[in-house]
Amino acid sequence: MTILALDIVTTALILFVVAAGLMVILGVMKLINFAHGAFLTVGGYTAMVVTDAGLSPWLAAPAALAFGFGAGLLIERVIVRPLYDRPLDAILATWGLGIVITQLITLGFGREVQFAASPMTGTLPLGDTEYSAWRLVVSGVALAVGAGLTALLYLTRFGLNARAVIMNEPLARGLGIDSGRVRATTFGLGAGLACAAGALITPLLSVDPNMGLPWLVNSFMLVLVSGVSIPSLMLASLLLGGAQVLVSSFVSPILGGMTIVVLAAALLRINPKGLSLG
Amino acid sequence: MTWKTQATLALLAVAALAGGASAQETVKIGIPVGLSGANSVVAPSVVQSSELAAEEINAAGGILGRQIELIVADDGSGAQGAQRAFDSLVFQSEVDVLISMETSAARNAGLPIVNRGRTPYIYTSFYEGRSCSPWMYVNAWVPEQQVAPIVDHFMAEFEAKTFYLIGSDYAFGRGMLEFTRAYVEANGGTVLGEDYLPMDGSDWTAIISNLRAAAPDALITSTAGGAPNVTLTKQLRAAGVDIPYGNLAVDEGTAKAMGADATGIFIAASYLTSIDSAENKAFLSAMEAKFGADLKTPNDLSVPQYEAIYAYKAAAEAAGSTDAEAVIDALDDVAVTGPRGVIQMNKQRHAPLTMYLGQVLADGSVEVISTFENVDPGEQCPQFSG
Repeated sequence: MTILALDIVTTALILFVVAAGLMVILGVMKLINFAHGAFLTVGGYTAMVVTDAGLSPWLAAPAALAFGFGAGLLIERVIVRPLYDRPLDAILATWGLGIVITQLITLGFGREVQFAASPMTGTLPLGDTEYSAWRLVVSGVALAVGAGLTALLYLTRFGLNARAVIMNEPLARGLGIDSGRVRATTFGLGAGLACAAGALITPLLSVDPNMGLPWLVNSFMLVLVSGVSIPSLMLASLLLGGAQVLVSSFVSPILGGMTIVVLAAALLRINPKGLSLG
Repeated sequence: MTWKTQATLALLAVAALAGGASAQETVKIGIPVGLSGANSVVAPSVVQSSELAAEEINAAGGILGRQIELIVADDGSGAQGAQRAFDSLVFQSEVDVLISMETSAARNAGLPIVNRGRTPYIYTSFYEGRSCSPWMYVNAWVPEQQVAPIVDHFMAEFEAKTFYLIGSDYAFGRGMLEFTRAYVEANGGTVLGEDYLPMDGSDWTAIISNLRAAAPDALITSTAGGAPNVTLTKQLRAAGVDIPYGNLAVDEGTAKAMGADATGIFIAASYLTSIDSAENKAFLSAMEAKFGADLKTPNDLSVPQYEAIYAYKAAAEAAGSTDAEAVIDALDDVAVTGPRGVIQMNKQRHAPLTMYLGQVLADGSVEVISTFENVDPGEQCPQFSG
């Protein structure tokens, strides 16, 4: 029973940390970033490069965050910014960008499955049982990311500006907020979060050019259901991730793999606003 | 006619002559293999051993005096990619023979195309058994040869009575574990659970928790080779699972790539790099010399591929031609000595094999625990027993 509860909580938190970058970009930029899966993959390869270079595997996620942030700023400037007035084209552009990134990775690292060293192995004792240490670490990081994002949005000047842009961009601009800069920083932040998440999940997986794809689908569904709000993304992850674990454990892991998508579609059918609190 | 047009025409004529000449002279061997997808961990080693076989045979005068030309096509490790790869090899490249290691999904998708194109096909991957086609031969193991050593060892050595089975949801995964379940139950054991994840699935959390809740004496897994095998093993180790663990789908190369997580896994294979024979040593040093630092560890998938190319050469030479039907008729009769010993595909299109039970050591090498000489593949394709 404890294990089942831990499975649900850790699965939910891993989903949350993977989807967070997508939600941040959607919130401020009103842009579904279909390159999110490719960013996750880049994070996985960053982890591999870091550990192959003989650096501590603990540096993988911070390195991925930094690399993703830099790459995000650059991509925003070159690809996304010229398309601000054509939102639909911007979405298509991110889709294309995802394909380009995947192909670049294939060219650079080959198509085969590769491995990154894990910062820690084995289990941690937890009450009367023991549980996968790395899943617990990722869950802790996910909570920290949630808290950090909340603090960023509500306690900083950037957060205030970002919230203003989320609520009403023309008005925010009228008040002298440089919304272009807010957008650029947000895209960098979203890309950085996605890369860091990719590096975080890598120790449980192997690295290949398409590793981000299944996560993109789940993240997309979670963000559609949750809307732009950190607590409701947490709630959506817990509900849908929990359902996935329950179906996998008690019905069939094959159906479990589809649970999030099916449930999200059903939820949106019943309540088009999803879980959105706003 | 301008000089440009003339030059172009001349070039075309030369190309046509060259093309025509080489089409007559070379023996085309098609290799559909999973360069991307699940099999991508192992596919490069298969391509390497094919290249060595072709180079050696070509240096020694080719097949019936004709040089070998290898045509490698990526099948994406799955059914859709395999249809494209087989179609282009059989109908566009018009290969003389297909020799390849592939997933069962890819093989099953390719077989109808092989049958339609009437092309000889030597399948070089271990698989779940009972796949039969008038055009196919298999020189790798089936469950009858592979499952028994592991299960017997677990029952004798660890007094294992309860087993848990985990696999990928496709023909190989289900076929191997179905056989394993029957074998365990026939020998007085109990199977506590049998769980599958789709081939591209990577989250084994719920299955591992079910496994831990069931607390079996031993675990046997049969995933698609490559990524699923790696993610399952990593997550098992991360969850602290340390019961005897038999992996029906891991080869020596993948075990080495996995590193520490693979330590202690039991495998049963028809080839291990440690086989002590002159042929194996010659093969390993030739691979070393040809590929140097780029060498992928030769393994139970790449070595049958190497031997199958020699088997095709022997059959074509016995038949005196590369005619498809003549080669198919000759393939049962030829015995080829390779790194795995003498292999003859004379048991209903399958081959008796010497099997090794091994355990992966910390450095990724495999220690041989026991050897089983010439294990029979059993009843695979009774229609070809004549």
